[in-house]
Amino acid sequence: MKQRISGLGVIKFLIYVFFILFLILPLLAVFLVSFTNEPVNLFGSLVNLEQLKLTIEQFKNATLDNFKSIFSRGHYFQGLLNSLYLSFIVSIWVLIICLPIAYGIARTKMPFKRTISALSTIPLIMPTFISAFAFIIMFGRAGWVTYIYNALGGEGMLIDPYSMTGIALVQIFFFFPYALWPMVAAFRVTDVSLEEASRNMGSKSWLTFVTVTFPLALPGMLSTALVIFAVSFSDFGTPIILAPSDLNLIVVDAYREISGFFNWGGAAILTVIMIAVAGFVYWLQNFLVKGRNYDTLSGKPKQVKLIDNKALTIPLTVFSGFVVLIPLLTMGTVILQSFAKTWGRDPLPSGYTLDHYKQIFTSSLGNIQNSLILAGGALIVSVIVATFVSYFVVRHRSTTLDFMTTIPLIVPGIAFGIALIQAFNTAPLQLTGTAIILVIAYSIRRLPYMVRSTVGTMRAIKEDIEEAAVNLGASRLTAAVTIVGPLLLPGIAAGSILVFVTVIKETSISILMAPASWAPMSLAIFQNVLRAEYYSAAAMSVILVAIVLILQAIANRLSGGDKT
Amino acid sequence: MGSVVVDNLRKDFDDVTVLRNINLDIKEGEFFALLGPSGCGKTTTMRCIAGFESPTSGTIKIGGKDVVNTPPNRRNAGMVFQSYALFPHMNVFDNVAYSLNIKELRQRNVLKKIGTYTRMLNSKLVKYPKHIEEKVMNILEYVELTEHAKKLTSELSGGQQQRVALARALVMEPEVLLMDEPLSNLDLKLRHTMRNTIRRIQQELKITTIFVTHDQEEAMSMADRIAVMKDGEILQIGTPTDLYSNPETPFIADFVGTSNIIPATVIGEENGLTKVKFGDDQILESSTVTDKKEVQVIIRPENLKVITSDDAQTDNSFEGVVQFATYLGSTVRYDIKMGDQLLVVDTMYESGDSIIKDGSKIKLDVSPERVLLI
Repeated sequence: MKQRISGLGVIKFLIYVFFILFLILPLLAVFLVSFTNEPVNLFGSLVNLEQLKLTIEQFKNATLDNFKSIFSRGHYFQGLLNSLYLSFIVSIWVLIICLPIAYGIARTKMPFKRTISALSTIPLIMPTFISAFAFIIMFGRAGWVTYIYNALGGEGMLIDPYSMTGIALVQIFFFFPYALWPMVAAFRVTDVSLEEASRNMGSKSWLTFVTVTFPLALPGMLSTALVIFAVSFSDFGTPIILAPSDLNLIVVDAYREISGFFNWGGAAILTVIMIAVAGFVYWLQNFLVKGRNYDTLSGKPKQVKLIDNKALTIPLTVFSGFVVLIPLLTMGTVILQSFAKTWGRDPLPSGYTLDHYKQIFTSSLGNIQNSLILAGGALIVSVIVATFVSYFVVRHRSTTLDFMTTIPLIVPGIAFGIALIQAFNTAPLQLTGTAIILVIAYSIRRLPYMVRSTVGTMRAIKEDIEEAAVNLGASRLTAAVTIVGPLLLPGIAAGSILVFVTVIKETSISILMAPASWAPMSLAIFQNVLRAEYYSAAAMSVILVAIVLILQAIANRLSGGDKT
Repeated sequence: MGSVVVDNLRKDFDDVTVLRNINLDIKEGEFFALLGPSGCGKTTTMRCIAGFESPTSGTIKIGGKDVVNTPPNRRNAGMVFQSYALFPHMNVFDNVAYSLNIKELRQRNVLKKIGTYTRMLNSKLVKYPKHIEEKVMNILEYVELTEHAKKLTSELSGGQQQRVALARALVMEPEVLLMDEPLSNLDLKLRHTMRNTIRRIQQELKITTIFVTHDQEEAMSMADRIAVMKDGEILQIGTPTDLYSNPETPFIADFVGTSNIIPATVIGEENGLTKVKFGDDQILESSTVTDKKEVQVIIRPENLKVITSDDAQTDNSFEGVVQFATYLGSTVRYDIKMGDQLLVVDTMYESGDSIIKDGSKIKLDVSPERVLLI
């Protein structure tokens, strides 16, 4: 067909412009700044000759100093090492604690399986900075855990929340569900007949597990560990609350360089390194799962015989119960704190009050409003972009767009935020500090969820239905709007809620980029925690979690509620 | 309604040529079938006419107008898809009214445009104008679906869905009606009924129709003319009787109906009859005149007569052994071994006839006019 300027063509062009402007160029700019050591005005160079000359001048002075300093100056290098160490420890421990739980859920008739499954979703609804904050009020000097520990004869604190251990614990107990469900799936699909063969040859059941079951599930677990590694490495909420000033972590360093010292070069080099590490882990993980697909095992359903040996299942339940209890207690602590009159060094608050909520609804209603408006805005942008992206990805097989929508999945939030701030700091496109760039940042960051949801639905819409509409006289655009659009609605609805929820939970972008006039709930909670205003922080957290919970319930209902 | 002329059509997908040298001259009001095995290019040919594929070279004229550069939505070539491709979120009425809505959209009135767009997204919000309402109900009455108008298409049976697809294509009064294997999703009985329905509607509306199928029986029973395709080329175009009695290649002889195809050598000519030799020195006469030396003998199963008694008068016959007999009600089909070749013979069966036993030596008689040499 001859290339004509069609409605769809224009939209495709605009989508490309959107991605290049707000994703590719900012990332490119941050990469360049890591050499020039000062902000580069890419957009200005495109429209202004003077600026272009200036930019070229900057490049003439480009150095590799920053890269050198990473490995010579102990500060940044130590931050990177610490972050890698943290992520490594977290992913190993997550694997260790998930292994028995996943096995229990997939292969045994352990008691309270449903309850444990249900409770294991709690970490998913709590943003990590709230969990981290909750750890302070549990394990801190005045925390109830510390009280119990001291009452039992312990000295000082059981665990210092403001430490590497504290950060690792929060991440372990709040990231384990990301590993649990893939591991359950891996245990479910491994061929049971092989285990039966092993048993048949006289092997004891524990030996079968060690020699057959575990090795079969190993590749799946490795890739899961890498997912946890990436999640932990990119996590900003936990370290920003809990990292003591003498503990360098790369995400915190990067944040401090940009928001404390306006050290563009330093922030840029840290951003580049963060993206490099995250990209490598993503590549490695993709490399591992290549050729494997744990979701689409069809054909004859194998009847797995569930183990019902009490000596095994009861310890499994006890262990699993302990693991899921900690997030539950964390949530309970936040709720209790939000209703507490005062809560000092006692196991329970001295009394209960609704004052903190009253205060929020009188003075901080704006934050809730901001969150909802910003999330709504991000939702609208991502619905529009994702709908057309999935159309182009599925119908035009646009691999470029497919690739571009996976970039936000890899780039850590704090890195993406720094890139945007840097790129839109000056005219002609001075957007830093506006709600517009905030909404765009949110929507791009969460676009992959939306696109995944809509692409799935789009694939299910047969192409001939669209052709039929064209055959009946509709232009491609009209066919897309009147036929594909309505059929895509379920996918859009499911993706929308996910985007809305994650934007409300979003920490790194909010803390880094939100202007005071548009402070969302997460930023308000963060500031309250920093000011040690724990009661209002707790109340706001409860409201945030409640909103997330309600929306998640709606999403589950929409998607049929059969997904784990 | 118009003619469809395809001239020297060629289509390449990357390096693969899927269509070459396609020439069609379909007359106004003609029912034309594209027949061939899967992968022969018949669907691609139709999709080129509909505009979903653009030809690498060649021209396509619909109603005398060159449409190669016309986008598919402006060709006015109504198509019935193999899967019907009904809009699953719309009821029967909305499905059929779709093309009429599109026509409304082409008007200049902005308010009307918005109204129509809204109606296409949700027909409960904006009412259909009277002329659309009437037109849709008329066509639904024509395909006997009036009482199903407000049903979702998923609530209908296969045959009913098929008629919705047909009505949806017909309501736009297309220049040409394109049907891509429309009966392949129906069960046998329904397929026979739908054949008649489609044929009746085509006759009554006198609409130029192109019908893609791999089922020769379907093509033979419905079409005015058939183009037999293979490997991206047209082998032969002709009326059903033409193709059956005068196939130009062994492939057509076998694809259109069943044929016995025996390789043979021409050994002479006598009284206008060609003599051929095959097998173990068996000789047959054919009224086909040929200048080839090596030929294929084509004989239809029903043209062979089985002769059991040795003394019967046989002018033009050869010998064989019955492998086994299949009783089919009104006919009996014999599989007969001749040398190392297997032949098929259909004989009429009347009650009381006996079926020849397996292993019997028999003679097969055929009149020279029924022996075709290719």
